[in-house]
Amino acid sequence: MTAPQQARCASRLPDGTLLTVTATRRERAGRADVKCVVPGDPQLAERMQQAVRLARHTEARVDSRDQVVLSVDRVPTGRDWELAAVLADRMVRGIWHGRGDVVANGWSDAWQLGKVEGHDVADASPDALLGGPGGLSHLGQLDGHPDPGAAVSSARAWFPLHSGFDADALGWVEVSVHPLAPDADTLDEEQTIAVPGADAARQLAVRQALAGARHFDGRGLGRWRTTVRFGPEVFAGRSYELALVLADRIARGREFLPRARLIATGCSDAWHAGRVDPVDDLAPKCALLLRAAGPGDRVVLPHAWRDALPDGFAEGLRARGASLACVERIGII
Amino acid sequence: MIPFFRRPAPVLDACDLGRSAVALPLHAGCAVPADCPVVIVDAVGRPRRATTPGGKKLELRPGELAWAFHPGPYTIAIVPYAQAPEIGLNTTFAIDPLDPAAAGKRFDLYLAAEADGRVDLAALAVAVEDAVRTALAQGALDLPPCTGIDEWNAFRLGLNQLLYLRFGLTVDDCVPVELDAVDYAAQLAARAAQPREAVVAAAVALAPPVDAARDDAKALRRLFLELPCLMCGLRLGALPSGQDQFRQQQALLQRLDRLSVEITTMPALALAAPGQPLPFDDQSRRMRHSLLAARALDEAWALLARLDGADAERLAALYDEAERVVANLEAECAGRRVARLPREAA
Repeated sequence: MTAPQQARCASRLPDGTLLTVTATRRERAGRADVKCVVPGDPQLAERMQQAVRLARHTEARVDSRDQVVLSVDRVPTGRDWELAAVLADRMVRGIWHGRGDVVANGWSDAWQLGKVEGHDVADASPDALLGGPGGLSHLGQLDGHPDPGAAVSSARAWFPLHSGFDADALGWVEVSVHPLAPDADTLDEEQTIAVPGADAARQLAVRQALAGARHFDGRGLGRWRTTVRFGPEVFAGRSYELALVLADRIARGREFLPRARLIATGCSDAWHAGRVDPVDDLAPKCALLLRAAGPGDRVVLPHAWRDALPDGFAEGLRARGASLACVERIGII
Repeated sequence: MIPFFRRPAPVLDACDLGRSAVALPLHAGCAVPADCPVVIVDAVGRPRRATTPGGKKLELRPGELAWAFHPGPYTIAIVPYAQAPEIGLNTTFAIDPLDPAAAGKRFDLYLAAEADGRVDLAALAVAVEDAVRTALAQGALDLPPCTGIDEWNAFRLGLNQLLYLRFGLTVDDCVPVELDAVDYAAQLAARAAQPREAVVAAAVALAPPVDAARDDAKALRRLFLELPCLMCGLRLGALPSGQDQFRQQQALLQRLDRLSVEITTMPALALAAPGQPLPFDDQSRRMRHSLLAARALDEAWALLARLDGADAERLAALYDEAERVVANLEAECAGRRVARLPREAA
């Protein structure tokens, strides 16, 4: 898919109004790579250009054919708009694909490392992107990748949620691992896994799945303290298990990384053997995946689905830039 | 100098050759090590193979440099993703020792353009790892989670092409392995022990301790020597399919031609105009531009590796990629040329 000519990203100002950052792409023609327009405040424009240029250091692909012009529709205060400017710059060049209207607040002193260090807004809406610990702490996290410089390794994977056609969406699960202190080796693996905010049944299911998959791994047991968070607050079923297990493997540095997001569905009764079993709702989930997958995404499905996939599903994914794998068991290759 | 002690001088550290060193520089009068081909680079940077048999003294004309390399095989572990340090690719490669054909002397060109003294296996392994990581991040190679056997074979083909065209190495074998010596948990614990300021400072400190003049000269040497070979590869490898693509290819070659001319006439790093010194800040800006140009050159080699055997629809995408690389090269060379960037409003 090609990049758009124009992209917008909003940011909430302290007085409750929304600031819109508009990014436009045009022919470079010997001009600067980034140009910022803030009515009546050239210093702020300079700071915006600096933040955007620093954030570009974390990208792999440099393209000097285009100039990106960033403009804001009102003069912002503070520096909470920085994340919105960085995201608008990425969206217009097709490096990140925001879904829907993105509202983002955040600032950083280390954009060149991709770190987002905090946000100032207090009354943000629940689906806004907020920088800092607990929210978006690293730009790679937009695609679920771990921060290569942080002391905690956390990875996200997405899974399709089916609840009637219009309400279908992708939910995410995030696994964060901290190294376990060496004197704590008497602990049971399941005791080191916490799922804050989940009921006892889900907590037990998550613990069993992770402990089983780590048993299969060989080097997974007794090394980590784990926190698991879910994006959707309420959902039923256990089709999230494959996404959970793969996110755990990525967080522990034991799995290759997708170029963008990892989307998986599947469960298992034998995680200790690494086996992946099928789940229900093949047709609506495939329809959702075809709508939601973007360039660089990796879709992982159970092997049993392989022969029952709808016609043209794999080609459709490939046309969107995503790739598909139907796996029998987890593990590299 | 009185020629009393003119005995064949032994090659320094010759026993490392084939183990920790891939290539060693030879001086005139050194004995040529047995079974190691010798590459002589003449004063204008053109490489050729020496015909001196092993054990005899090497004779060099003034201005010539010589290296002896061991054909291998060597085994290195590449970590393809920085965030997954416990998985590596155990790669075994060799260097073709036979005198190569006129078109395919990539390793000789690598020595001529990039080698600065001894070529250590460890340094070469770092360069190879960087090339693989960049290719993965840009989508030139694909190694996603739960890689299937077909995807692995495609990756292997791409890796073979990339390492041959970028470094002149022939990959014999490549297997994914779990690196038991690496403990990711211990690495994370070490990161947690250092304060945040140290982390930020460490990343910043990576760049400064460089010798601006030397890095700049090395990057320009690479551009000067490699651009003609790149153009040759583009002419042969990217056979256009159709009239439009033919015009595109001609335009690209023309722009590359202009770039080669621009490289040969690049102004000195330390001078703004004849007899007029340039401030240090602008010197390091010029140096940054030439380093970025050398990185664009790496991308161009990676692109040539993908061009080989591409079908018509992929060829169109690769031509677009080629335009991007050439545009980057032009932008960086223009930045290297000017003494002062014009002050532009943000």
